[in-house]
Amino acid sequence: MNLYDFIFYFFAALTIVSAFFVVTTKNIIYAAFNLLLTFFGVAGIYVLLGADFLAIVQLIIYVGGILILMLFGVMLTNKITNVQIKTEASFVIPASIGVGLFAGVLIAILLKTEWRNSPADIPISTLVPIGKLLMEEWAFVFILLGVLLLIALIGAASIARKE
Amino acid sequence: MIFEFFADLLGSQILSAIIIAALPLVFIILYVLLANWLERKVSAHMQDRLGPMRVGWHGWLQPIADMIKILQKEDIVAKDADRKLFSAAPVLVFVGCYAAFAAIPFSSAFVGADLELGLLYILAVSSIVVAGILMAGWASNNKYALIGAVRSAAQIISYEIPTVFIILCIIIVSGTLNLTTLSEQQSGTFLNWYILGGDVEGWKKFALIPFMFIGFIVMYISSVAESNRTPFDLPEAESELVAGYHTEYSGMKFAMYLFAEYANMFVVSALVVAMFLGGYQSPFGYVGDLINVPWLIPIEQFFWFTVKGLFFVFVQMWLRWTLPRLRVDQLMALCWKYLIPIAFVNLLIISFLMIL
Amino acid sequence: MQEYFRNIWQGLSTVLTGMKITFKHLFVPAVTIQYPDVKVPLPERVRNRLYVNMDDCIGCDQCARVCPVNCITIETVKSVPGEDLGKTSNGKKKALWVTQFEIDIAKCCYCQLCVFPCPTECIYMTDVYEFSELERENLNFNFVTLSKEEILQKKENYAKLEAEKAAQKAAAAKPAVANPEQKPTDN
Ligand code: SF4
Ligand code: SF4
Repeated sequence: MNLYDFIFYFFAALTIVSAFFVVTTKNIIYAAFNLLLTFFGVAGIYVLLGADFLAIVQLIIYVGGILILMLFGVMLTNKITNVQIKTEASFVIPASIGVGLFAGVLIAILLKTEWRNSPADIPISTLVPIGKLLMEEWAFVFILLGVLLLIALIGAASIARKE
Repeated sequence: MIFEFFADLLGSQILSAIIIAALPLVFIILYVLLANWLERKVSAHMQDRLGPMRVGWHGWLQPIADMIKILQKEDIVAKDADRKLFSAAPVLVFVGCYAAFAAIPFSSAFVGADLELGLLYILAVSSIVVAGILMAGWASNNKYALIGAVRSAAQIISYEIPTVFIILCIIIVSGTLNLTTLSEQQSGTFLNWYILGGDVEGWKKFALIPFMFIGFIVMYISSVAESNRTPFDLPEAESELVAGYHTEYSGMKFAMYLFAEYANMFVVSALVVAMFLGGYQSPFGYVGDLINVPWLIPIEQFFWFTVKGLFFVFVQMWLRWTLPRLRVDQLMALCWKYLIPIAFVNLLIISFLMIL
Repeated sequence: MQEYFRNIWQGLSTVLTGMKITFKHLFVPAVTIQYPDVKVPLPERVRNRLYVNMDDCIGCDQCARVCPVNCITIETVKSVPGEDLGKTSNGKKKALWVTQFEIDIAKCCYCQLCVFPCPTECIYMTDVYEFSELERENLNFNFVTLSKEEILQKKENYAKLEAEKAAQKAAAAKPAVANPEQKPTDN
């Protein structure tokens, strides 16, 4: 087992185990912190796949942004309302149907894709190609996305204003 | 570089990876001992006191004595605290700071991981610190700790924005996010440092200087804020929140926060140094070049990097013992009304200059 | 807008001013006094631990009586005729053996009241102020110069004298008792 294998199995185990806890734990805070580990594990796997930019973005946006936002939400609302922050299994039947369908799709994709099984090269950075693509080929979409986010920002600010 | 050296020496990649990973830890421990002593001495002398004088020459062994003391302390967990998260939080905070050391270019021969995305990587792992701080605040089940944690998270997230803007300025000028490349671009004398316009040719260099300088100041202010130091130490404001998110901690767990705080101080200083002040490059050239001993150069580079880093750590201490703490609204006003607009305008001007 | 830039300027310049001041203080010699190594000179009339010069003490008990917290314990034994106790430094003749002289410094409030009434100025304040102890008993200072045997001997001497006196008195009193009617006429 060489170093890359070792690291891969470590991150894979981390992702799966913590994801399992996210689903099973009854305490929302535990779920949120386990989600942190899941994100982290996924980021690690991205790095091993040579998608370093994706990994960093995963960390910045999911861990630094979304997870913190969720934690803020849970922590700040917990004591105000009297709702217990415990999750419970509800809507078991519709949920299992939905999950079953989704799992079917995932497995189908898994089986149909032609995976590249070439030995791992030393990962080269994807940063420059991604930047080129964004700025040249997909510049319009990129700008549109920027405008969309700007609108969201302005919207959030105007909702947060007093009057 | 150093990885191959150890891999050849030991014949095992895994073993050499472990050694490489442990080297920054050694550095952190030595540095924390030094910085802790320095902090006490600087604070004491700025207030016309002497500080620790008894343990060793001018008390230089005091941090070691304190470390031994803290190791013996009882590990108290409050009754209503969430045990698991309470124990995990200091580890998470320390891991976040420690992980940042992986990308710091100590010298051309010793970079833990020569990442193409070094700058962004350091930003990314610092978000783990935020999660750890929130975890600590929550797990302590203490209102001071929770308020401290929420303040800290809000502060770090807010001040990340001007930091990213300034990083964008640097990217525009240098065209890279790699901290080693960034340092290499600033080789030669200090005239090539990015704070003096970098290796850009002609009149642009002079046009860049003031904006680089503004960028440097904005970056430094927001990095001080990100490491939760005075004047931005609202998360652990003694006078209102006892000790913020680490109120309930004692013994070794408390020491981990201490280590993380000092390590973080160095990380942000190192970032500023790598971006604006030549990274590990010497300001004048190398003795190794002069007397033709090539292996001396990496050691000199390590020396210069540490000296520059420690200088900015010293400036943080200096600021701490000069300025009073900001109020919460002042903190947010400074970030959103001053730093972000300035950084944004700076970014626009620099990109305009570089297009010309 | 103008105010905005003025704020920035003020913020930066005041921070720099403050930093200049603290930097200057970095090189100002510290005011700290390294206590056990360096000691502050004491004021002239400082009150610290009491000392009794037993050579001069005449055992008059005045200091013990004036003490507001009763921390001085004095016990004296009269001398027998023929014993020479010597003189104090200011010429007073000593007449009493001081068999116990203890000052419980733990109780003392350093009011110095005991110092003034002393006729021979033998109890006074010293400049010793570092005498912390782990046991409270150790703060009970004993100033007696006589040894135990001497004290016993003095007491015996005095008891003998008393006994002799009592015997003499008894001898003298016997005739008086024999004819009590004569007494008023004697006067
Ligand atoms: S100083 Fe005051 S309290 Fe102390 S022994 Fe003399 S009279 Fe008593
Ligand atoms: S007043 Fe002076 S002489 Fe008299 S008993 Fe006290 S110490 Fe002795």
